[in-house]
Amino acid sequence: MATEIEIKNVSFRYESEGVTDPPPVLDGVSLTIKPGEFVAVLGHNGSGKSTLAKHLNGILLPSEGEVLAGGLDTRKEENLLTIRQHVGMVFQNPDNQIVATVVEEDVAFGPENLGIPPAEIRDRVKAALEAVDMTAYREHAPHQLSGGQKQRVAIAGVLAMRPDVIVLDEPTAMLDPQGRAEVIETVKKLCREEGLTAVLITHYMNEAAEADRCVVMNDGRVVLDGTPREVFREVELLEKMGLEVPQATKLAHELRKRGIELGDVINVEECVAALREQLER
Amino acid sequence: MLSDITLGQFFPGKSPVHKLDARVKLILTIAYIVALFMVSNYFGYLVIVGLIGLVLALSKIPFSMLLKSLKPLIFIIAFTAVLNLFYGAGEHVLFEYGFLRITEEGIRNAIMMSLRIIFLIAGTSLLTYTTSPIMLTDAIERLLSPLKKIHLPVHELAMMMTIALRFIPTLVEETGKIMSAQKARGADFESGSLVSRVKALVPILVPLFVSAFRRADELATAMECRCYHGGENRTRMKQLTIAGRDFAACGVFALCIALIVLCNIYL
Repeated sequence: MATEIEIKNVSFRYESEGVTDPPPVLDGVSLTIKPGEFVAVLGHNGSGKSTLAKHLNGILLPSEGEVLAGGLDTRKEENLLTIRQHVGMVFQNPDNQIVATVVEEDVAFGPENLGIPPAEIRDRVKAALEAVDMTAYREHAPHQLSGGQKQRVAIAGVLAMRPDVIVLDEPTAMLDPQGRAEVIETVKKLCREEGLTAVLITHYMNEAAEADRCVVMNDGRVVLDGTPREVFREVELLEKMGLEVPQATKLAHELRKRGIELGDVINVEECVAALREQLER
Repeated sequence: MLSDITLGQFFPGKSPVHKLDARVKLILTIAYIVALFMVSNYFGYLVIVGLIGLVLALSKIPFSMLLKSLKPLIFIIAFTAVLNLFYGAGEHVLFEYGFLRITEEGIRNAIMMSLRIIFLIAGTSLLTYTTSPIMLTDAIERLLSPLKKIHLPVHELAMMMTIALRFIPTLVEETGKIMSAQKARGADFESGSLVSRVKALVPILVPLFVSAFRRADELATAMECRCYHGGENRTRMKQLTIAGRDFAACGVFALCIALIVLCNIYL
């Protein structure tokens, strides 16, 4: 398969009573996501990035245009179960997506819904918990876990359905820095080692820096699309859209304005290396 | 204070009692309650004491836990005892003062009723101590599954119970946070008349409800994303299986009921 998810010219409006012609939340978005890609979708609040995420597995349906997930049209009711098994989704609040009172039973929830035989569910749960490094907490109650751990359980719950794509809708917004790092590490690992396609919705630029590809949204449109390096080069444009570039990139940008060229740095390590090179010269 | 709220407290363990099939445990508990109401003399209670003792020993639940489960109900037990003591109809009057009359039958009734309540609580507590809430709802779903034929939404009811149990700690935590937030703004929950204290709860309940609805909405979306589509074609990871020990437990209970019946007839 050449494409995992294809978004063709999608527009979306929230229908509400009394309002004729509400403003579009998504306005003619086209995007193709290839298998194995780690895509970060960036945007400030209200840019339409979460709405876009909900289109990927048919939670929301486009007002205009179409979304094909694994070649299946999300607007067809009979495709939905297959699409949702194929495109798993993790949400912002870990507390509101864990169903069961024991970790392993929650991970089993997805496969149970798919009607998988019990013995195979056990294998899948075991593998999923290992993949997110939560095997030791198999029998814990969700409320005994930290935010980062809960979010990893939620990821395991999606993995147990054996999806090809995992969509994470601001999974780190409610976590502390340590939990944030845990979750991003897990997603990166899954992408590199298991060949999973990941779509990470976020407003943290340093998280986006870890991705293969960065898509920046503003007012329901795709504004920038490229590697993090290419995207972060547009410091002024990003700041105008209310996004904060990583400090390292910002520093390089300011130095460039003063005639010192550090190159396109996107994280602290690269910045340190480039600075050292400049100073030693 | 709020963290003390526990419904169906569960003590994880690997004892034979823990391992019993939850369905069997549920049915045996019901049988036990029926047996308890059949007991008509003190010898019957001896059998019950023996049974509870056996389960307690096998399950390795500390005796103090059993006492703890009785504590909140001391008032009800005492109330029942007093009521039975004074309102017992009988001929052998031991003491009379005005409208107060204590008879031999009254004393007997009071003791019997108190013992009945005590053992009722002890027995059902042992069930919840040794069975996880999930297993219990699972057992209820399976035992009631024949009622699906008359269109009773058995699966949905069990799912609701599971989710309710799952969200108790989350909502308790949230209540604590809201209370602190309101206290920080000068709310006073501890003083004043009963009416004003109840009124003070409104600013806690409103945000709690709003948040519970928001949570429900998000949970529903998350469940849909994980392919939840009702009980149809759904499998379960944990299968309930009847093993030899389940038959043994049934045998022990049958024996006890038989003993109670014999006590009733011959003693």
